[in-house]
Amino acid sequence: MIYDEPRFLPGGDRYVTVEFGNEMNLELNFLAQGLATALAQNGTKGVVETAPCFASLLVHYEPNDIRFADLVAELRALIDSLGPSEDIELDSRLFYFETMYLDPWTKECIADYCAKITEKEYDPDFVARINGLEDRHQLVRVHSGSEYWVASLGFWPGLPFLQPLDPRAMITCPKYNPPRTWTPQGTVGMGGSASAIYPVATPGGYQLFGRTPVPIWDTEKRFDVFDGNIVLFRPGDRIKFVPVTQAEYEAAEAKIDAGSYVYNMVDYQRFSVRNYHRWIATVDKDERF
Amino acid sequence: MGHYYRSLVLMLTVIKPGLETSVQDLPGRIGYWEQGFPPSGPMDFWSFQLANLLVGNAPGAAGLECQYNGPTLRFERDAVAAVTGADMTPTLDGEPAPLWQSFAVRAGQVLRLSFARLGARAYLAVSGGIDTPPVLGSRSTFHQAGIGGLAGHALEAGQVLPVAPGEGEAGRRVIPACRPPLSGARSWSIEAVPGPNDDWIDAAGHARFLASDWKLQARSNRTGFRLEGPDWSFAARATDKRPEHGEHPSNILDHGYPVGTVNLCGQTPIILVNDAPSTGGFINPYTVPSAAFWKLAQAKPGDIFRFNSISVEQAQELRRGINRLCTEDSIEPC
Repeated sequence: MIYDEPRFLPGGDRYVTVEFGNEMNLELNFLAQGLATALAQNGTKGVVETAPCFASLLVHYEPNDIRFADLVAELRALIDSLGPSEDIELDSRLFYFETMYLDPWTKECIADYCAKITEKEYDPDFVARINGLEDRHQLVRVHSGSEYWVASLGFWPGLPFLQPLDPRAMITCPKYNPPRTWTPQGTVGMGGSASAIYPVATPGGYQLFGRTPVPIWDTEKRFDVFDGNIVLFRPGDRIKFVPVTQAEYEAAEAKIDAGSYVYNMVDYQRFSVRNYHRWIATVDKDERF
Repeated sequence: MGHYYRSLVLMLTVIKPGLETSVQDLPGRIGYWEQGFPPSGPMDFWSFQLANLLVGNAPGAAGLECQYNGPTLRFERDAVAAVTGADMTPTLDGEPAPLWQSFAVRAGQVLRLSFARLGARAYLAVSGGIDTPPVLGSRSTFHQAGIGGLAGHALEAGQVLPVAPGEGEAGRRVIPACRPPLSGARSWSIEAVPGPNDDWIDAAGHARFLASDWKLQARSNRTGFRLEGPDWSFAARATDKRPEHGEHPSNILDHGYPVGTVNLCGQTPIILVNDAPSTGGFINPYTVPSAAFWKLAQAKPGDIFRFNSISVEQAQELRRGINRLCTEDSIEPC
């Protein structure tokens, strides 16, 4: 549900979680990101930084500059001033990511898990089956058929937790149990209803079904699009996975290795929750691609 | 100016790295949390700031955090240094060096820290401050992601640490009453503030958390402190919940993790500390406030934690008390 009034949950002496609801619902993330943006613009005294999650915003504050009760009052006033989520508009870059679905690298990773940890169905077949899709190829059509919203970043710095903006692409699946000990860098996968890209090779628990060669983690400052940062994404970015062949994947990878790769990113749009709602109302959510 | 400046820079050569010795600064890596970067920084920020003040640095200047077993370092130029926090029986060219006191080091002398005999983490400050390149606004090492510090990781033998030029004065000490009260006792009373998810635990679970001994496990590091103790019991909302919260009672829809939070992973509480992930899918019934971090930093595996529930306002007052001690007023001539 979406709460009538957000909850303000203390976390020790320096943190407060603003919880807008208790379900996986893009509206709640729009509220969290709307509040984060308003706090940054407002320059609220004592607020050090914030981190949005699916349904909440974690606020780090300096208690010498603002008391807990005063901070809660400020947050409440700011949330009221935002108005209904309809009115929220957020800057949103859109990244196009070449992605090879059903690729050999994640296949090898899954096979290694089966051999060393426990037997399991090939992830794309499993995810297709439990979501009532025809086969792994329809999974690719469905998954690549939507833009994805960067709801939050975590688990590893720069790892985006993604929600499909098109309800026709909504699928769910459980995580690995037990988790994997390794996952190839650039793997695209999902757990629950969130998709993710693995910035570097790490352990993980998501079902795997594709891989992108495009770096989202760059400690060597090789690509200007990072703008001096190490990680590519910010909350409120969007990603479109563009299915490519292995030859296209390898061609992109060669350009990346040579430092000549050009990120396909557009930065001229604001995401309007009102327009999004208007469009979503016209979509048959049970339709699949 | 590169070459001339470099020639003035003091160097520390790492002879032995110790166990996971890392460069840290305060307030750490702030401003990148929304992208998943933890703050890092020294765990016992009380001892850390006092070390810096002793050698005339800004209290947050970069220094070394030494864990359990300290490093051996050769100073390549004259300097003033100070060691605070855990007692790792520091020696300078084999002679005992003082704790909680600034001392002069001559070029070529070797400072050696050994096993922690009291406490677990010692802090070394050198006048001028460690001058490794800042990454995302901080020199703090976040070794899991390989950023900050020297080459992104803990010290390694043979490395050379740059130190900025600085004016330090030997023979200054921290007034004993102004230091963290390390006693050597193996049990600790640790403050904990209920929340953010205290309402996921039932009354018996809360009573058990506050009345039980919790043993610090060996698998503890700057990411998390794992505790061993009795099982938890849960309020109705932990089981009666929407599927996106996950199956186990300790699962919740992914949310942000405050630094210091007592993260309940199944039945195992893990206190998430300076290098912890920013988000995840487990509940946090309590949060250890910053004023108790020096105790976490100085506890050793096998030590017993007892938790003492306090309010947000009490936790903030305790922190103000520590802040008042991290000033020049706590320093006196020897």
